[in-house]
Amino acid sequence: MDIEQKQAELIDHFVKKASAQVGSAIGAVIVEATSHASLFAFSEILAVPTVAELEGTENSVYLEVLRVFAHGTWSDYKSNSGSLPQLLPDQVLKLKQLTVLTLAETNKVLPYDQLMLELDVTNVRELEDFIINECIYAGIVRGKLDQLRRCFEVQFAAGRDLRPGQLGSMIQTLSNWLGTSDNLLISIQEKIKWADTMSELDKKQRKEVEDKVEEVKKSVAVKKLHTVSRPTLTFEGLKRSTLNLVE
Amino acid sequence: MQSNQSKEKASKAKGKENQAKASSRSGKQKKKNLEIKRMASSSSSGLTFKLHPLVIVNISDHYTRVKSQLNPPPLTSTSATVNGVENQQQAPRVYGCVMGVQRGRTVEIFNSFELLYDPSTHSLDRPFLKKKQELYKKVFPHFYILGWYSTGSDAQESDMHIHRALMDINESPLYVLLNPAINPAQKDLPVTIYESELHVIDGIPQLIFVRSSYTIETVEAERISVDHVAHLKPSDGGSAATQLAAHLTGIHSAIKMLNSRIRVLHHYLVGMQKGDIPCENSLLRQVSSLLRRLPAIESEKFQDDFLMEYNDTLLITYLAMFTNCSSTMNELVDKFNTAYDRHSRRGGRTAFI
Repeated sequence: MDIEQKQAELIDHFVKKASAQVGSAIGAVIVEATSHASLFAFSEILAVPTVAELEGTENSVYLEVLRVFAHGTWSDYKSNSGSLPQLLPDQVLKLKQLTVLTLAETNKVLPYDQLMLELDVTNVRELEDFIINECIYAGIVRGKLDQLRRCFEVQFAAGRDLRPGQLGSMIQTLSNWLGTSDNLLISIQEKIKWADTMSELDKKQRKEVEDKVEEVKKSVAVKKLHTVSRPTLTFEGLKRSTLNLVE
Repeated sequence: MQSNQSKEKASKAKGKENQAKASSRSGKQKKKNLEIKRMASSSSSGLTFKLHPLVIVNISDHYTRVKSQLNPPPLTSTSATVNGVENQQQAPRVYGCVMGVQRGRTVEIFNSFELLYDPSTHSLDRPFLKKKQELYKKVFPHFYILGWYSTGSDAQESDMHIHRALMDINESPLYVLLNPAINPAQKDLPVTIYESELHVIDGIPQLIFVRSSYTIETVEAERISVDHVAHLKPSDGGSAATQLAAHLTGIHSAIKMLNSRIRVLHHYLVGMQKGDIPCENSLLRQVSSLLRRLPAIESEKFQDDFLMEYNDTLLITYLAMFTNCSSTMNELVDKFNTAYDRHSRRGGRTAFI
């Protein structure tokens, strides 16, 4: 996935920076990281020990901001805006992009109304511009905008940082997928076997009919033509073309 | 015959890796008729060879063309257009050049072209080779003449002459040998690559052929054409059942591969959850984005369309069966009439239906 590759260097860079600094300087690093145009992954920075130390100090607001960026949405920020510092316009933009990603997690088809509500955008034109310029061109989502039905169909959305509980549900989804594909494999094998057995039966039947034809021909050659043995032949012939739908 | 052979080769060339067979022939067999076959067990030059299927198909095509041109047998006794010696057991030898790129220790053979072999001088047609080389240089500036090819079951002494002759173009040319005999029991490709090495045998330093291993490397275009040729088999054979079985087998193997990959992911995540493997966030993000793409299609509209198409197919099959049945019935009635009409009076016992 190219987004991850693009971010890999940035993540390393910021992790190094964060581990090198202490205290309020980390706050500045966090602000820089959250406003960076191509960085969407924050859990590595969250994992740096010096960042975790911010908990409880007066700079814990920066930790909160980082957490919101890692797991939360724009509406989360708005509801907590009292306790969190003011965001720069770049950060606002970033948070809105991340919001789109979160919405794409649950539904594949996002109605414009919901998007406008979540992103604080009033008209459709602005919404579409935002989605096209900031999300699709950035490469974090791929999809189609359906103007007639006023929705955004997401085909691909980049992953956000994982909350701890999400790992379990991912494993569940994967095992379901595995189960489905296993069943599918078994049913395909059965179909192949069915096709083979059917063709075997068919061949056997043809052979039987031909054998009977040979037999009767011989007996007809011996007897005269009055014997009534013809109908059986054609009756067998009918059997050949009966329906064989096993559905 | 040509399509059969290339099908045979192509189906084997579907991405199979060829391992070097340890040759049991030692280099010390001397026969009285001076046909000395000398081969060592494996090359020690350390070069890795990558062979493209295009070369194999080219050689096979060349050989097939020449062989089919020989039947009917040529009218003139000296058919100079026929490469190689006159029909030795109906198997003409064809010759040509292989070219490619050498990067470091990896030699990649991309393409080949045909050459005429002059039996009188036991050498390949040099002016033509030079001309072709110049032409190819214009289109593929990176390609070099890497060696030459021929067909046959084994490398022969006379091949060494040709090999030596090519040494002025390339210090260590390659000899690609294709065995045109179709052996259904053989699992590997009948292609061998020989290098020449200077070995000291009986106190005399001599050049001998040394077999090397190679792998098959494909470009996307080659993969498509090889795939296409390999899939031609069912239409030859084909009752409906075999075609269906072939198609389903293809799908089956594809899904099986997908299944194994999902299984790997599953194991990985379970391991991560248990704590055996350290959490790697970037991978987790990718997996989560992947899983969000499921289910791929699940709208109502899809179900409707799918069911409609399914019903259409069933209906058409039903209709075809009906038509079949009614035509057979018609035949039956005709036969019945023919059989029993003779005894009826005119206007009397009417037809069965």
